[in-house]
Amino acid sequence: MIPRVEPGTVGPCPVAADALQGIKRQQTNPARWNGAGWQAFADAVRAAGVELAEGAIACGVYLTDAGGTAYGLPHGVVIARSAAQISVLLKAAQAHRVPLTVRGGGLTTEGESVAFGGVLLDMTGMSRVLAIDAAALTVRTEAGIYWHSLAEELRRENLDYLSAPLNLTSSVGGTLGVGGIDVNSARLGCSADQALSLQVVTPTGDIVECSDDENAELFQRVILGYGQFGIITEATLRLRPYTPLSMHYYYYSSLRTAIEDLQMLDSNDASDYSGILTIMDCAVNLLVAFDSGEREAAFRKNWASRLRGFGEFGFALSMAGHYALRPWKFREALYLLQRKREVFPEFRRTEYMRDGKMHDRSVVFSRAVWKHWGSRNMVIPDLATPADRFIEAVERGNAVCRKYFRHYTLYCVGIRLRPDHGPHYEMSCIPPAAQGWAYGCEFEPMIEGGVYSRDHFQSFKNAIYDIGVDLGASYYRFGGMMKGYIRRVFGDELVDRHLAMKRRADPAMILNRDVIF
Amino acid sequence: MRSVDVVIVGASLAAAAAAKRLVDAGLETIVIERKELPRHKICSGILSPRGHRFLLENFGPLPSETVHQPTSCRGVTFHFPSMVSMPMDFFGGSTPHLHRKYSDHWAIQRSGAEVHDRTSFAGLEDKGDHVVVQASRNGEPVEYRARQVIGADGPSSPVVRAVYPGYAKQIPWFFVGQKFHDIIDCPLSADYFHFWFHPGLGHYTWSHARDGRQIVGVGFKRGDNFARKHEVVQRYLEEKHGVRLQPAADDHEGCAENFGPSLINRYVFGKGNVLATGQAAGFLNMIGEGMSCALHSGAISGEAVVEARRRNRPVQEVYRRMIASEVRRCTDQWNPLKIAFDKPHEADFPAALMQLGWRDRAKVLRDMWRFIVLFKEFNWGRQIVSGALQRPVIGGYSMQRWL
Repeated sequence: MIPRVEPGTVGPCPVAADALQGIKRQQTNPARWNGAGWQAFADAVRAAGVELAEGAIACGVYLTDAGGTAYGLPHGVVIARSAAQISVLLKAAQAHRVPLTVRGGGLTTEGESVAFGGVLLDMTGMSRVLAIDAAALTVRTEAGIYWHSLAEELRRENLDYLSAPLNLTSSVGGTLGVGGIDVNSARLGCSADQALSLQVVTPTGDIVECSDDENAELFQRVILGYGQFGIITEATLRLRPYTPLSMHYYYYSSLRTAIEDLQMLDSNDASDYSGILTIMDCAVNLLVAFDSGEREAAFRKNWASRLRGFGEFGFALSMAGHYALRPWKFREALYLLQRKREVFPEFRRTEYMRDGKMHDRSVVFSRAVWKHWGSRNMVIPDLATPADRFIEAVERGNAVCRKYFRHYTLYCVGIRLRPDHGPHYEMSCIPPAAQGWAYGCEFEPMIEGGVYSRDHFQSFKNAIYDIGVDLGASYYRFGGMMKGYIRRVFGDELVDRHLAMKRRADPAMILNRDVIF
Repeated sequence: MRSVDVVIVGASLAAAAAAKRLVDAGLETIVIERKELPRHKICSGILSPRGHRFLLENFGPLPSETVHQPTSCRGVTFHFPSMVSMPMDFFGGSTPHLHRKYSDHWAIQRSGAEVHDRTSFAGLEDKGDHVVVQASRNGEPVEYRARQVIGADGPSSPVVRAVYPGYAKQIPWFFVGQKFHDIIDCPLSADYFHFWFHPGLGHYTWSHARDGRQIVGVGFKRGDNFARKHEVVQRYLEEKHGVRLQPAADDHEGCAENFGPSLINRYVFGKGNVLATGQAAGFLNMIGEGMSCALHSGAISGEAVVEARRRNRPVQEVYRRMIASEVRRCTDQWNPLKIAFDKPHEADFPAALMQLGWRDRAKVLRDMWRFIVLFKEFNWGRQIVSGALQRPVIGGYSMQRWL
């Protein structure tokens, strides 16, 4: 008889107490749901008018996520149409104890949006923009919409969202449930912080409107809540007037120096956009951009001279000298040159540049991300730390990247925290000790057509995540946090408190199970 | 004839790992096993931390019936003829002492695959787009039709023999056997797995505690005499280590082992739609622990089948590219350059060595060399050296050497 372990709890383990030090004894790679009660559930939802697709062809589309390492097949798929339809679905799922996995853009990396049996709800069916209020600078949109579709609608009104992930095929609902970072997050906060109010279908099927003023507790749990406390069906987001960007690039050969300069800019509010993109740890690019001429002029006057990075020509000379003295590293030099030839023009394409300003960074960055970083395995572990531990986190993560992959990129940004959003940040991607700013670094190996086993990727990710446990960091990723790490990072007391809330909200524990609990 | 996506031969840990991946991906999978489950399995049961982590992450916490007493093992102690002993703790804490009869059964149940026990694999025929597997159940012939077959059926794998009939004759075979003794007095710590680098005792000599008794195990080139070898070891333990044991009980056991493939990168991964994995493919960590690489390679074989279908690529091509990471990890453990300059094992041998005085260090290195010389007759030296030199140049081990 196999003992049953309650979802979210750590089961008994007869092996010694010091076995696998630090690793909680949880199954992180979920067992496929056994299908008990599926037919009665399917009959019930169909009788209620919900279209449920079954079979390998309908379900096979959802076999894996952007991470490409977890494979799971749902028993059936529902395309989201309305909050009422989702309410019916959730009520039936509760009654029949059928697991329900929600998927937006499917950009998770650990299989969080992969259904290991049960029903998969594809939110992309709810992708309309409902109302744009140009005067109040807000938009009401269905949550299954991709950011790039939302951007398209907003541009017509000469408006822009505050911040969105660079990978614009993530959905609004998924991003609000997880975090989302942009190159302006050091000033405007993470993407989830721009939500003013939400329409949420709770795990028991109630349709509820929530915000900081109305049903605030639900709002706090759903924002950055990894999809545990409800399905976001509509969202009202803050907007701002659209502006083109004037870009500046500074080049470094030291991660530490570049990060120090980035943090200096952020803490002095010296730029509107800032971030670091690297080619391994050899060429480190600090990107700085501005919405207005005044801000740019102030930067030139007060801060530009304090940055220690080179311009493009100066950096090329310095690199030429560096590699001339180290001829055995000629392959690395060739790779840098090749990468420069491929990637740099993407940020200066004539169709997006007018009068020296970049028009629509959303398109430019998203194109570049998909064309030059993405592969069929989006293996992007990351670390989010308080500002003072960031350099150590990046340097240690960089050493791990070097060990596992030949080529990789680091992407670092600051994230401005809202003091009034403390409750939102509890047990989320925002590290508990962060004050003012958190800093995030994504570690992105270049797969370059190579085939690696899941074990290789998983070992790499675990090595990065272990640094987070050491440093008291958190994880700022597309998907939820790895279940095996949440108790190590936040401790049993906090996790058990959230688990108790989850049990109250979702008695059958059916909604997005195995993501964090 | 039952038609399914994949047939896995064997109900071991490698099979459970492969089955888990296949079932998760929605593939109809049947596991066929010769014996009735739960079945007995000859094994020391000492799993490495990497294997423990895999079990936890994929199958959940181990139930109490899946471990022997003592339930865990802190590490390995090496003993040398010069009477130097080196205890080494595993990185990351103790590991489980698996009761293979129940742990394998638990894992295969948790995988969610359909299991046909008392079903002996008899042969197969690869038809290009599918494989016909012949088996027998209770003396009656049964057939399965599967898109792919995974052989996870141990070192002397019938599946590998069906695909490469001459393979078994190409590699040297060893016999490993263990006897169980009631203890009169045993100064060897029950917290450790004890291993002897002693050419006079055999190629693979070990001892550890289990369920109130002491295991005395010996491994040697096939053809020698188990009882005589065992007697030599028991006498040595008594004389040199003061281990006083009752005569062995009747439940002694032994099996054939293939030590060579992971040392010299001569793995066998199958042909066409038939994959070999785990020890059937030749995976064996140093100190003869095969479970952790069986789990990982088994999972990779399952992933390769899913991946090959998704991408419409030949499964062998996908499997061989994906398994390269496990080959690197496993063969690194036998690579002298890796052992000297890296940490390929899950316990810190160089650190333990440095804790000894220089005189003892020299004795250990001398004794290890004498032990290695015992394997001279297999002519592996040149192949190991060439593999070690190849590793930094091509970043791995040559796939050309795999069958």
